[in-house]
Amino acid sequence: MFKTARFRAIAGIALAGAMALGVTACSGGSDAEGGGSAEGDVTTIGFVAVGPEGGWRTANEKNIQDSFSKENGFDLKYAPATNGDQNSQITAFTSFIDEGVDAILLSATEATGWESVLERAKEAEIPVVLLDRGIEPNDTELYTSRIAPDNVGISASAAEWANEQFPEGANYVVLEGPPGLSVVNDRNKGWDETIDPNFTKLESQSANWSTEEAKSVFETILKANNNNVQLVFAQNDEMGLGAALAVEEAGLKPGTDVKIITIDGTKAALEALAAGRLSFVAEYNPLFGDTAIEVVDAALAGETVESEIVVPSVTFDSPEAATEALPDRAF
Amino acid sequence: MSAASPAPASGPGSASGPSSARRIVGAVIHQPYIWAIVALLLLLIINLVKDPSYLGVSVNATTGNLSGNVIDILRASAPIMMIAIGMTLVIATRGIDLSVGSVMAVSGAVSMEFMNNSGGGDAGTAIMAAALALGISAVLGTVNGVLVSVVGLQPFITTLITMLAGRGLAKVITSGQNTSATNEPFRWLANGTVFGFPVIFVIGAVIVAIVAILVRRTALGLMIESIGINPRAARMAGIRPIGILISVYIVSAVLAGIAGIFSTASVMTVEVAKTGLNAEMDAILAVVIGGTSLAGGKFSLTGSVIGALLIATLDKTIVFLSIPSSATPAFKAIVIVVICLLQSQRVRALFARRRSRTTPSAPVPTRKETVSA
Repeated sequence: MFKTARFRAIAGIALAGAMALGVTACSGGSDAEGGGSAEGDVTTIGFVAVGPEGGWRTANEKNIQDSFSKENGFDLKYAPATNGDQNSQITAFTSFIDEGVDAILLSATEATGWESVLERAKEAEIPVVLLDRGIEPNDTELYTSRIAPDNVGISASAAEWANEQFPEGANYVVLEGPPGLSVVNDRNKGWDETIDPNFTKLESQSANWSTEEAKSVFETILKANNNNVQLVFAQNDEMGLGAALAVEEAGLKPGTDVKIITIDGTKAALEALAAGRLSFVAEYNPLFGDTAIEVVDAALAGETVESEIVVPSVTFDSPEAATEALPDRAF
Repeated sequence: MSAASPAPASGPGSASGPSSARRIVGAVIHQPYIWAIVALLLLLIINLVKDPSYLGVSVNATTGNLSGNVIDILRASAPIMMIAIGMTLVIATRGIDLSVGSVMAVSGAVSMEFMNNSGGGDAGTAIMAAALALGISAVLGTVNGVLVSVVGLQPFITTLITMLAGRGLAKVITSGQNTSATNEPFRWLANGTVFGFPVIFVIGAVIVAIVAILVRRTALGLMIESIGINPRAARMAGIRPIGILISVYIVSAVLAGIAGIFSTASVMTVEVAKTGLNAEMDAILAVVIGGTSLAGGKFSLTGSVIGALLIATLDKTIVFLSIPSSATPAFKAIVIVVICLLQSQRVRALFARRRSRTTPSAPVPTRKETVSA
């Protein structure tokens, strides 16, 4: 009995330790310094981020972290979401308000449900800059500015390319991200508005941005349609690469039998485009740290800032274009 | 899979028909997983209605492999089968293993990172990568097992911690990136075929058979069940729970490691935030659908295998029927809720009552409601 009692005690301590670990992990290094407000000319920035998701996200968040560096006079507190969970983001956001940071950067995992915390930030007079992901309903009163590439425009340019490639129309499939995201809605909007009416949308399925899921989903779609699919519009690179694998598995040739369009333009996608496995890659430029600094500085100086800032992006429509861009691809 | 001998039928009322075939059918009908089989058949029939050639398996002219929806289902079910089998054993001891999805990510991350760095495309590298991945999975399983059995922590909390820590570990291993690698033998594990049949399912079936023989042809299965039914009585009867608990958690983690290898090998990329995400839910569902009670005790490996097949079929059916992606969680939930309802004691009692009219030997449930049938 003495033994079990001691084990219980140890168990209790271990549990407490684990919980403490868990708690610090949740706030994810956001309060590493512990409530340090701005001193001198160091500007404290809270970055409520998405965290590891794919090549694009990694490039984007690294670029933001590099731009808001100590050398540039910033102290950036990085708080990635725990497995894409919005609750962990809201927790991080509120703790940034409580700490009294100078500005907050937000890449929301979900578009809705941000009103009350944004309201709190506004009361505390902390400017909030949305990076990439927008919010719904899009109330520009609640935030200072949103910096993002133009999702609608990018997917419209992809649809224009498809119109050119298939003047007679084609059967196509859309592989979407998780339903409800502003990115997904915008990319659908740009595509649907631009694609010619002689195209037939066979199916629109979510593959949750994942290669593995996209492969599994697309192999079933191919079977359901007896391989009669000419075009895939994958809303990110990872899903496009998964679709390419499914096409190869079915004994078809990606690029000739099934043309695949992807958005993002990561290195892996450009390599696949150079090898002819993808057909069109529209870049969604992640490198806008410098613009973000300008916006934050302007907001802190009390100047008015545009509520919508579009980051310019390019498209790649041939293996040659991809090969040319590959050597100095940063993401 | 035939080696996975089912748990003894719950009721003594198996129809004593003249033919043995009828007896087998009778025994299966009394299994809790009968509704999973019914649901599985129903899903296949729905698919058949949409496309009469759904069950057709043909030889792909270009690749020379068998191809068809059934083959896809078998392939997709293999990773779920692995984690479901491990989960069954853990649940039978009154435990739960929430860390399987994260262990999948760790195992995938370890193997991809190893192959990416070594750069070798030969079978040796693939075997090394797999061995390393399974080794690390086993370590995570040992941590779970020791915390649960020696320290006496709640399995839920213990494996929740490993679940959070595991995904973190996977991210550390690949430094937050989705790592890809090229290695033909490793890719073959998930995409290759033996005599046109998917390797991944063959390996999965062999592993299930091995586990089934280990627990059912030895006393191990009984010991696991006795710990789940009454740990104190089991100890009094001379069963040492610590060793068994640790090994059960190790087995679960190693099987999750295999599932991780399967799912990353299929695309040769580990997606640290996605690989194995919510896999523990699929595993628990497969176990519950298979008729193993979450309260521990009696377990059915056959049931869990059927549960895994059902979940894979459900996932594929959703896409095949073009159910809009926003409605998929609801569709999945409805199917599973219906199965669980049909398995509930009360509904089964209703059926048992009906049966008792034909076979008087069956125990008459003492329910107050009168069934008008």
